[in-house]
Amino acid sequence: MRLLDWERCAPWVVGLASVSLLILIWELAGLRDDVALTTVMPPPSQFLSMVIESDFRIGLGSQSATLNEALLATFGRVFSGMFLAFIAAIATGALISLSRFATWSLSPLLFVVAPIAPIAWIPTAIVVFGISNVTAVFIVFMGVYFILTIGTLAEIRRVPQEYLTISGNLGANRWQQWLYVVLPSIFPGVFTLLRTNFIAAWMAVLVAEMVGLRDGLGAIIMMGRNLFNNELIMFGMLVIGLSGFVVDRTLAFIGNKVLWWRVK
Amino acid sequence: MSSVDESRAVFRIENLSINFSAKRQSVPSPLQGLNLTIHENQITTILGQSGCGKSTLLNALGGFVVGEDSGGVLYRQRYMNAPLEEIVMIFQENNLYPWLSVAGNVKFGLRFRNHESVDVNATVQRMLDSVGLSSAAGAYPHQLSGGMRQRTAIARALITRPKVLLLDEPFSALDISLKRRMHGLLRSLQEETGTSMVMVTHDVEEAITVGDRVLVLGGNPAQILVDADTSSDAMRDRYSNAYLQLQKRIEDVIY
Repeated sequence: MRLLDWERCAPWVVGLASVSLLILIWELAGLRDDVALTTVMPPPSQFLSMVIESDFRIGLGSQSATLNEALLATFGRVFSGMFLAFIAAIATGALISLSRFATWSLSPLLFVVAPIAPIAWIPTAIVVFGISNVTAVFIVFMGVYFILTIGTLAEIRRVPQEYLTISGNLGANRWQQWLYVVLPSIFPGVFTLLRTNFIAAWMAVLVAEMVGLRDGLGAIIMMGRNLFNNELIMFGMLVIGLSGFVVDRTLAFIGNKVLWWRVK
Repeated sequence: MSSVDESRAVFRIENLSINFSAKRQSVPSPLQGLNLTIHENQITTILGQSGCGKSTLLNALGGFVVGEDSGGVLYRQRYMNAPLEEIVMIFQENNLYPWLSVAGNVKFGLRFRNHESVDVNATVQRMLDSVGLSSAAGAYPHQLSGGMRQRTAIARALITRPKVLLLDEPFSALDISLKRRMHGLLRSLQEETGTSMVMVTHDVEEAITVGDRVLVLGGNPAQILVDADTSSDAMRDRYSNAYLQLQKRIEDVIY
């Protein structure tokens, strides 16, 4: 029984120990004044105390914002972009799989535009949408939509022929087959793809926030750079890392508990 | 050869030739000019070696593949060129939707049909009772044994009250004792519902004990090498002389 408990706890214990060790080394290095790196990378005790002292308000004067506001802004952009890309990818997948004309007309576009990095869209997006939330959502959308659509098409091809034959045999028309058979078949796979592409979306929105937008987690880092405040940069990086981790775990939980089935 | 009574025919296969298209080429199947009649209200089993065309024949009966213009499959005097709702197929695997429970899968059989006068939940419950799955109604396919999965598939097919049930090696993945129980279940369901059934198998014992008529398909082009009436009780006894003689005759032809 004791062995079983250790088996369950081991990943957490070892994981926490390795993170603690890293922080310890970081803190010890920070104690020495002659290490130049500590100026660029101040240890957690320094940047966290700075942020706590300022009551989690980041920035100066009218441009300052609380950490909650920054988190909310970034999460709002990422999730809006990902949600729209998820819906659009499934709709495009449906269109391409149901219509040969759509296949011929959309496939070349899809494969030509897909390799363009989402960051490359930033200048165009700023010109078209201005410096606004729409720009950030658009960048996230472009970062996820094409990969997700190509993945959706691959998932559709994986749907066993028997599933379609059976539903057709039971009287379903093509749209009903799509709604009741193809969609639930591909949903878990597409959601997993969405999760793996979250990192891409996350990076895209941070870059958008760094180059144009004035709020959000990416903007914290740029503010730190402009104010020569390395504590702020480190704090921004830590929050970005932790938030990304929490979202990834949340998406994994949804994938495992809500969309648990796998079509083999 | 059993005598062909045209009035009892559910399928008449006339000069059936099937060619597959692969990479813009026409690849002929062993089915070239096949003629056969399949009777209603009984279980017909089709035996043969792998690649003899038995699954292709079953797909043609279901309307999933269509033969060359020179002939085809007549279902109650009409040429088939597409699947019909009254003919339902059960496959070897992938029969159940993994996101639906047992009851959900069975209910799926009625989703696209006009069943205003039917109490759906009561019908599903009755169907689950008849295949012995009432206690597993809420379970999902990955929680079921192979036999339970195939029973669910049979329940979903039969809930639509099909005129014909086509089965493509449905029990091949099951162990021998489970297989025999499923044979008994299939026979009793056939007697209960009067559904005409056509089952493809490569298991000689299964073909004889389940079928009212056994057809052995073989050769290229494919022909009916054995056509035996197996409707008598003696054929349900694997140690009877009639059973053993037929088994030997079939094995001599196949192997």
